[in-house]
Amino acid sequence: MLPCSWGLWRSAIHTLKTFRASPSARGLCIPTRAVCDAETIFALSSGHGRCGVAVVRVSGPASSMVLRNMAGLTQALPPPRTALLRRITDPQSKELLDRGLVLWFKGPHSFTGEDSAEFHIHGGPAVITAVLQALGSLEGVRPAEAGEFTRRAFHAGKLGLTEVEGLGDLIHAETEAQRRQALRQMDGELGRLYQDWSYRLKRCLAHVEAFIDFSEDELIEDGVLNQVDSSVRQLETEIERHLKDERRGERLRTGVQVVIAGATNAGKSSLLNTLCQRPAAIVSPIAGTTRDIVETSLDIGGFPVLLSDTAGLRDSSDSVEREGVRRARQRVEQADLTLVVVDSTQLPPDPQLVPAFLQEHLSTVLPSPEAGMKAASDRVLLVLNKSDLVPEEQRERTEGELRERPGLPPACFLSCSTSTGLEDFLTVLQSRVKTLCGDPLSGAPSLTQARHRAHLQQSVQALNQYHQYRDQDLALAAEGVRLALTHLGRITGRVGAEEILDIIFRDFCIGK
Amino acid sequence: MLAQKLHLLRHNVLSFVSSRTGSDLTRRQYDVIVVGGGHAGTEAAAAAARLGAETLLITQKIMTIGALSCNPSLGGVGKGQLVREVDALDGLCGRAGDSAGVHFSILNRSKGPAVWGPRAQLDRERYRQFIQSELLSTPRLTVLEGSVDELLVSQPNPEEPGHHRVTGIRLVDGSHPILSSSVVLTTGTFLSGSLFMGQTTSPGGRMGDAQSCAGLSYTLKETLGLRVGRLRTGTPPRIVKESVDLSLAQLQAPDKQPTPFSFLNTHTRCKPEEQLPCYLTHTTPGVERVVRESVHLNCHIQQDTKGPRYCPSIESRVLRFPGRRHQVWLEPEGLTSDLLYPQGLSMTMPPDLQLRLLREIPALHRAEIRAPGYGVQYDFVCPTQLTPSLQVKSTQGLFLAGQINGTTGYEEAAAQGLWAGVNAGRTALSLPPIALSRTQSYIGVLIDDLVGRGVTEPYRMFTSRAEFRTYLRPDNADLRLTPRGFEEVGCVTLRRYKKAVSVRDGLQEALMALQSVALSSTRWREKLGNISLSENKSTTLNGLDLLQYKDVSFEMLASAFPECLSQYFEYSQRLKIEAVYRPHCEKQSREMERIRSEESLSLPSDMDYLSLPVSLSHEVREILDRVRPNTCDVRPCPDTHTCVLNRLFGYAKIKSVTHVFDNS
Repeated sequence: MLPCSWGLWRSAIHTLKTFRASPSARGLCIPTRAVCDAETIFALSSGHGRCGVAVVRVSGPASSMVLRNMAGLTQALPPPRTALLRRITDPQSKELLDRGLVLWFKGPHSFTGEDSAEFHIHGGPAVITAVLQALGSLEGVRPAEAGEFTRRAFHAGKLGLTEVEGLGDLIHAETEAQRRQALRQMDGELGRLYQDWSYRLKRCLAHVEAFIDFSEDELIEDGVLNQVDSSVRQLETEIERHLKDERRGERLRTGVQVVIAGATNAGKSSLLNTLCQRPAAIVSPIAGTTRDIVETSLDIGGFPVLLSDTAGLRDSSDSVEREGVRRARQRVEQADLTLVVVDSTQLPPDPQLVPAFLQEHLSTVLPSPEAGMKAASDRVLLVLNKSDLVPEEQRERTEGELRERPGLPPACFLSCSTSTGLEDFLTVLQSRVKTLCGDPLSGAPSLTQARHRAHLQQSVQALNQYHQYRDQDLALAAEGVRLALTHLGRITGRVGAEEILDIIFRDFCIGK
Repeated sequence: MLAQKLHLLRHNVLSFVSSRTGSDLTRRQYDVIVVGGGHAGTEAAAAAARLGAETLLITQKIMTIGALSCNPSLGGVGKGQLVREVDALDGLCGRAGDSAGVHFSILNRSKGPAVWGPRAQLDRERYRQFIQSELLSTPRLTVLEGSVDELLVSQPNPEEPGHHRVTGIRLVDGSHPILSSSVVLTTGTFLSGSLFMGQTTSPGGRMGDAQSCAGLSYTLKETLGLRVGRLRTGTPPRIVKESVDLSLAQLQAPDKQPTPFSFLNTHTRCKPEEQLPCYLTHTTPGVERVVRESVHLNCHIQQDTKGPRYCPSIESRVLRFPGRRHQVWLEPEGLTSDLLYPQGLSMTMPPDLQLRLLREIPALHRAEIRAPGYGVQYDFVCPTQLTPSLQVKSTQGLFLAGQINGTTGYEEAAAQGLWAGVNAGRTALSLPPIALSRTQSYIGVLIDDLVGRGVTEPYRMFTSRAEFRTYLRPDNADLRLTPRGFEEVGCVTLRRYKKAVSVRDGLQEALMALQSVALSSTRWREKLGNISLSENKSTTLNGLDLLQYKDVSFEMLASAFPECLSQYFEYSQRLKIEAVYRPHCEKQSREMERIRSEESLSLPSDMDYLSLPVSLSHEVREILDRVRPNTCDVRPCPDTHTCVLNRLFGYAKIKSVTHVFDNS
């Protein structure tokens, strides 16, 4: 199959390329390459938890400007690849944020091939948040998208072929981590606020678009635009107020999110109590005892962990329990690590049947259609509870079957009542948490927060364009609303042209 | 023998003078065969012939080539952009509109040049004549009257993807097949079409015309296994002009100075003072009453086949938005026509009730109907089964354009027809297929939406569908498309190319001249009088900066610097538009670049998704295998996530990188 499709790859790409990359495409008003220069991006590239030092990377043409502004370097930049101890200040308020090391990498001699800078700062969440926000406030600088540093490195030819092969998976992992992080942030008040803005902005855009596309033929009153004017103004005020609000509303939940999930009566609450060494959750032999999320903060091997116990997954006619199950599933979706608890006495007596049984069981607990994938199995541990109720010989043979089983997450036999197997389980859990903490994307809400702020700021700027052009050129005014919605959509989800048309046809009688 | 059975153009009652070569009667093989002579078919045939392909256009009735089946108008907001782009690629409809227009206006004049909508009311007769004479004088193009019964297919070419290969067509009354490796189907509403009026239903695609092509429908569905859906549309009754009391309607005057559609024309055939007006009137509660009373006699309206939300019949408008006044436009049908076309009154109730309904409107209280309105239901091929070159993915050499792809409107049909014709011609001439980017044209947006997203209702163009609306303007369609149309596509004639190039160079020079005049804002105020400039006194502004201001016109600047600017007077409007939009287009350039790079990472249609060395779940592999997306854009695949896109993107990138390595 390969040789054949190789040829086609070549011809398909060739054809399209020849058409698009022609010199005449540089016609009169096709913007030239010079203005296509990449934006400058930043990201936290170290983990958290027991990190004394956090590393923030910046890449792009404005890197030198960033360094000058944040590290107070008015004159020359430091020699490339040399650490320099500087006071790091907020470029706007000049407030001292931290003292740390700064490094300057002149392109193309950097990871991305572009001008780059690094800030090595203290690892506390307050410092990290402050530095990231200061970076986001600089003109032309924004938080990096998932995998963007690597993508840039790739485009600059800085990656070898083996690294390129892993690019797809890397981008996927980062996207997934960002998605989980965003889901957590969107849970609750903040999420509702953003969704409401998005909804109102969509209506504004739909009404402007209706006026552009249909008002010549249809009865669309001029008043429509006046309503949009005031809605846009209202939105601007609200977003600006939100950006200025120093309280930030909610306390950000930090730490690796570990969720305990499984069928009813498997012993999930017992596991929580065992791990936090106190009866935080009620345990009883009655199925469906836990109905809401029980959350507790833990220190596992020195790393911050937020442990959640959830309602047992089953179909229930009780509406309270059903809500509990819904929340449980939602929490599993947001988790960095899921502990799937299984009642060992429910395992098939024949050890050879156990792997298939567990595989089947996992697919009912884990939400994603890609449940069986490698990425998911990295984020799951199987806890085979009540091991004291299984004959020793059967347990050992089952353990043998489960050892090194590809496609199945690691499984630990454990008895919460006798604590047998607890130590082994804790070792496995600790190494998982440690790995997760090394990943800058898991459990670092400040990064998500910085991204949100950047998008909201850009959204407000774009709305300014609406007012600026409202009476001069409605197409350009509408462009402002479109742009604002695009930025907000980076937080709440992309809005397509069809969605706008749906609102138009719902709100207006269009048709001639 | 074939010749005897077939009614060839030169024998037609219209007695066209055929001085062309190549239209020999006995030819049985063509480079390209186009089936259908509507807006899509005529553009397709003309485009293929312009490319250099020996082309045959087959239509049921030569008389109806270029007929405006529904409304007598062309262009509008969004649609006008399409007409300008078709013209920029040397298509027919723009020039036909200039020849046939009797009432020209630019819609949205007050809303910014990016969304201006050039539009014209047309003289039906003149439009038909123009299209027919244009086709007749196109070299390498033969027109044949006949009805296609069957599409001939054979085993695919093993070197290329697909399950079948087109080899030609067979006519209803012709025992001999006509062979071709490229066939464009533009069957409009004739694919298993049925007509509805009141409670009666009859097979057909247009009232008064031959039956629809059932055999073709069978080939598409059964032989080729294409997924087919059903859509509906309708047309209003035609009213005798004399019977209308126009004093009770509001007069709508055309623009004083008509603006031609075509970049080649400086004026329209119709003189400014010869233009005809339109009239505006409104529905009354009586109209709603008649609709409600007749619902049980109206089987079209009771069927649930998807009709357009934006061009609904008066029945569905009244039922969906009751208690409102709806607009009705009374449009001229031509300079000598004694009919009026009531835009907004498409209806399918029995004819006696149609008359009752019309007469509930004051201006129409004595109205007489010449031809009643009716509805049409027809098959369309789900367009996600096509490639961006409008070729059916599973069938080599088969191209579809127009309503068969689920669109509505003359302009949408013409745009697809042209592009399908271009690619059919290229395929016949062994050139690789070619796609238009949605960052470069409305035609690209249209085709990308169709093949990428599919349709659930008849698809019509709106400016809101174009992400890069401020760049895809009616004023610059020639610069966007004509040079490439000549240099890379081959569908543009030398004459038009030279003109576009000279305009491009002229504009470029003028922009440079504007940038060369730089003054402080104080000096500008002295020169130009009292204009409001926001910049502070010391800022230096050049002419191009200044032209961005609302109150500044190119004429003002030219009178201030006559020596270097007055020679560019002919471009004054275009320069003004360019100056205002340029900064915004530049801001969007990065996003355009991104989309273009994703579009250009095409996935071959024979890709083996089931064993692709990329980590994908089995479910996702099966979806990809079924849908076979054209590019890394996975919108058409339901239930697939952005991570799939990223994986495919990574894979495609790796392959393109390796491809570069291979070459070096």
